[in-house]
Amino acid sequence: MPGISPSQKQAIAERWLAVALETYPAQSRQFLEGEKDPFRNPVGQSLRTQIPKLVDELFGDMDPQRLGQALEELVRLRAVQQFTPREALGFLFLLKPICREELPADAQARAELEDRIDEIALVGFDIFVRCREQIYEIRANEAKRRVALLERMNPEAGR
Amino acid sequence: MPEATPKPEELVQINYDPHEKDWRKTRPEFRKGTFCHAALPKDVKYLGLPNPRDWQPPDVDWKLPPNWKEIILQGMKERLEKFRSFRLFMDICVRCGACADKCQFFLGSGDPKNMPVLRAELIRSVYRRYFTTTGKLFRGLAGARDLTEDVIKEWFYYFYQCSECRRCSVFCPFGIDTAEITMMVRELLNLVGVNTNWVIGPVANCYRVGNHLGIQPHGFKDSIDFAVDDLEEITGVRVEAPINRKGAEVLFIVPSADYFATPHYYTLLGYLMLFHEIGLDYTFSAYAAEGGNFGLFSSHELAKRLNAKMYAEAKRLKVKWILGGECGHMWRVVNQYMDTMNGPADFLEVPVSPFTGTRFENTRSTKMVHICEFTSDLIYHNKLRLNPSRNDHWKVTFHDSCNPARGMGLLEEPRYILRKVCNHFHEMPENTIREQTFCCGSGAGLGSDENIEARLRGGLPRANAVKYVRDKHGVNLLTCICAIDKATLPTLLEYWTPGVDVGGIHELLGNALIMKGEKERTTDLRGQPLQQKSEAVHA
Ligand code: SF4
Ligand code: SF4
Repeated sequence: MPGISPSQKQAIAERWLAVALETYPAQSRQFLEGEKDPFRNPVGQSLRTQIPKLVDELFGDMDPQRLGQALEELVRLRAVQQFTPREALGFLFLLKPICREELPADAQARAELEDRIDEIALVGFDIFVRCREQIYEIRANEAKRRVALLERMNPEAGR
Repeated sequence: MPEATPKPEELVQINYDPHEKDWRKTRPEFRKGTFCHAALPKDVKYLGLPNPRDWQPPDVDWKLPPNWKEIILQGMKERLEKFRSFRLFMDICVRCGACADKCQFFLGSGDPKNMPVLRAELIRSVYRRYFTTTGKLFRGLAGARDLTEDVIKEWFYYFYQCSECRRCSVFCPFGIDTAEITMMVRELLNLVGVNTNWVIGPVANCYRVGNHLGIQPHGFKDSIDFAVDDLEEITGVRVEAPINRKGAEVLFIVPSADYFATPHYYTLLGYLMLFHEIGLDYTFSAYAAEGGNFGLFSSHELAKRLNAKMYAEAKRLKVKWILGGECGHMWRVVNQYMDTMNGPADFLEVPVSPFTGTRFENTRSTKMVHICEFTSDLIYHNKLRLNPSRNDHWKVTFHDSCNPARGMGLLEEPRYILRKVCNHFHEMPENTIREQTFCCGSGAGLGSDENIEARLRGGLPRANAVKYVRDKHGVNLLTCICAIDKATLPTLLEYWTPGVDVGGIHELLGNALIMKGEKERTTDLRGQPLQQKSEAVHA
């Protein structure tokens, strides 16, 4: 979407960050929002750094690699937090109402923008599923390591 | 949570605040992946604990004994009288919030009940209701609430999302130790038969056979023998590894994972090499073949029962003192409880290193020396020949395991060894190490398989700091001195920070150690080819 100003992008990123934070319980929000030390607040840090990157891509090249990286950090996190899948990914769709309110645009530009948001959500969905599958893999790997020596000593056991 | 397919317009109607209710009334949601399975009735029975039965946390009816409420309140009363610290911790919190954001389970989940102050409030509110006058009179107004079955469920959920790591206590101006509160609550839950399989199973095994896995003495011997063969292949040197040898000077105790799991096993190889090289007069015990003590994660009484075998074996084998391997909570038990539980060990001598003459005065009461104290003292006195370039394929960082770091202040010794045995060592950010170290998220009996999501949340802050040194310095090995860490950090890193392996301090020591009569080393203890063969010898 050509002609969007940096301040508009910033406004969108800020509102989006705010609604993403609202998916966490009220008593925690102040901390997630306020603590700026990246090591003391990894969740807040991820939201704060990755959301502007996504907004850049939304109004930029939609570069698959950069998009994937930013989404990966956010979705990987939400895939293990206390969310249902729709709660985990729903915040991506919240870009739509925010953009609608922040950017008066004609129907065609709007449709194009919303296609891009759908694309972002679909990539997010892929990552989410991959993370959920990975959880099973890492559990299985851990179980193997737990008795690794037993298996080396008795290669036949458990076959 | 039911997951009917939503209509498109519903997709954006997210319930922002699923938890936003009065915290005193919220019932936990037992979502798969966040809780541990219940203990098996056979193990509960074997240990003679109350209320063995089939049940699971998501069940509506937990089959508590009919007089469960009386049992819990009586248990609280007894413990408030017996442990002054417990009463103090119940009374003196001013809710200043200094601890609130210090728990890795809160940081990773964003769930406010994982703030230490709120976690403790889950029992404090019950304390106020039944044990203080204002609470009895004013109930809710005084922050008091009735003890109900939902409260029991909530206790189970949140006190098994605390790894008893004590990070929060470092920041509390009053020194309130939420880990101790967690221990009390778990004891109370134990009284009505609410405990987990991951804790009670190993305790039952250990009580029966002497280690958490339930490995019989001959199985223990098999794996030690296997390690000796392995070492001969790698180094060309045949080492001795005596078991149950009476009259040895030193009894050596390791966590059982060291002789069954990877990457622990490579650390075991390192110990064996070290002892051979210096000619230590030592023995393993097939009965005290477990440094770990999962009893600690359930009750003082169980911790005491399992701990007793250490001194019993030291006595039976007539050793002079005890040396302990890379284990985490073993050291918490040894340092804080062993002396009062099963001591004093008057029949043992104050440990003296036979090679340096160093007298380990700090272990005067327990008679048990940490392997890192022992080894760093050897290195300091130039007793070892080391070639750190044999670890050049590793860029190393060090995770302070909660118990050695906060439980016994063992901060410098492992770092001292690391600096001598490898050439590339990089610290993680300062507010994530030493006393402020983040927990692996799997300690205190949480290292189970079924609660993996809770573990991944709790481990996020640690993994996040590892990621920083991975990206900045190319770190590819996270070292640590705890068996639970070695079991669970690889899993954590696989998910959050791929490309970083986990290893032990004595694994790297073993790689670097130049042994008399060794053949040219072509691989490290993992069988990985060595990067360089330069023989820059230190010491
Ligand atoms: S897990 Fe550690 S920081 Fe969190 S409440 Fe328990 S003892 Fe405190
Ligand atoms: S830091 Fe100590 S006094 Fe302050 S809220 Fe936490 S436990 Fe209470």
